[in-house]
Amino acid sequence: MASGKSSKAGRGKRAPAVRVKSTPWGTIAAVVVVVVFAAAVFGYAFYQNRQQSKQADALAPFTPTAANQDPSKAIPGVITASFQAGQHVTPAQRVAYTHFPPFGGAHDYNWAACNGVVYPTAVRSENMVHSLEHGAVWIAYDPARVNGEALNALRTRADGKPYTLMSPYPGLDQPVSLQSWGHQLKVSDTADPRIDQFIQALRRNQYTYPEVGASCDALGPGQFDPANPPAFEASPPGPGAVPELGANGPAAAGEQLRPPAQGGSG
Amino acid sequence: MTGATVDPAAVTEPDSAGWARSPGWARYLVVAGGAVALLLLGAAAGMLIGLPGSGGRAVPAADSVDVGFAQDMSVHHEQAVRMAIWERDHTADPQLRQLAFDIESGQSRQIGYMQGWLGLWGASSQATGGYMRWMPATNMPGTADMPAMTGMSDGHDMDSAATHPGMSRMPGMASESELRELTSSTGPALDVLFLRLMLRHHEGGRGMLSYAETHAQEPEVRNMARQMLSAQTSEADYMRQLLAARGATPLPPG
Repeated sequence: MASGKSSKAGRGKRAPAVRVKSTPWGTIAAVVVVVVFAAAVFGYAFYQNRQQSKQADALAPFTPTAANQDPSKAIPGVITASFQAGQHVTPAQRVAYTHFPPFGGAHDYNWAACNGVVYPTAVRSENMVHSLEHGAVWIAYDPARVNGEALNALRTRADGKPYTLMSPYPGLDQPVSLQSWGHQLKVSDTADPRIDQFIQALRRNQYTYPEVGASCDALGPGQFDPANPPAFEASPPGPGAVPELGANGPAAAGEQLRPPAQGGSG
Repeated sequence: MTGATVDPAAVTEPDSAGWARSPGWARYLVVAGGAVALLLLGAAAGMLIGLPGSGGRAVPAADSVDVGFAQDMSVHHEQAVRMAIWERDHTADPQLRQLAFDIESGQSRQIGYMQGWLGLWGASSQATGGYMRWMPATNMPGTADMPAMTGMSDGHDMDSAATHPGMSRMPGMASESELRELTSSTGPALDVLFLRLMLRHHEGGRGMLSYAETHAQEPEVRNMARQMLSAQTSEADYMRQLLAARGATPLPPG
């Protein structure tokens, strides 16, 4: 537009007075084309960068780094506890957990498949806790309060996402509870931005889970079968249960880790 | 160009004459436009060049603790993965099968981290020559008991790294004859031998892990060494319990 305007003005004044070569329109046009082209390239790249970083920016402060090893400290409402890793029980045993849902402590030697599985029914906690030790985030919800669109909103965060698993947890005191090894966050709304912040901060966070590199895959029937997982047990664990922090003494361990009956993961 | 401006009558060069006679605003437009074009092109190019993480830190050198640890611990892990795959496929005990799968998959991923670093650092994936040259001989636990140890450099300069030719076998590594014994065993005998070899393997790696935990330059490497050390320590406790439950005892360090 600018060139059109100036060309009129230029022609009006100039053409009759000087009969030789007039304004170098070719050069001007070429420069304008280059400028427009460069502006388009630059503008496009700038816009793309902005769009990409806008989304990343919201979660950037929650990305674990060597300098910020546990970004969940900046998320209001996260509670933490410290557990010794590698305390195993057999499929026949129970653990006397003190948090509901539990987020660390002794666990079944079979971990629950945590490779993006959305369990339709509640699963035995002893298996779920082992998945947390492997770096997974467990999204638990109260089936009495979360359903429909809200349930779908949760499901998209777990379904097919490696190192994520989701299940109902009957009797949960909040609609949603997120677990990572040693960390828990309970929220009442599935649209709460802290859900994604928690996942970003703790899923496979190399500084916060005990077994870096451990798998979320299951070995199937006879071990942990994601198609037929051991069911959640609502009854109290009873006096014979293993303490949450593990039965670490050698005598207790020998008792505890007697080779189990074959195929007893259910 | 300059000549044309000095002598307006010289019309032999039509282009420069036209340029000379064009009004001031047109010249400014062309010059300004050209400048803007150059700036934009430069900015676009700079954006492309600057995109992948600018301002990197120094890459660990070929003789660094970081490189040596990543190379040697990869070899150490490879044998654990090899034994674990065998156990997973041949044990009849679900508890052992799960443990073997855990070691196999976990240590395979850890090898992935270490090999990825070596690739980014432009280092070779495996050391040629003796193992553990990146750490001082005095930090090698049980070196006196190691029959497979090659000659150390006359006992001099034992305190500093890279002054000894290294070891032909790392602590905890099973010999080929032990591996043959493992693969020819079955049933409870296989489980017990697997536990004994893997426990000794875990224990043998401790020296390298604790040295790298404190001496590697990269924070990720130090963290990985620390994580491996604590995970393998609790796994070793677990294996000791499993051995005891089977009425078996650990092997001596080696």
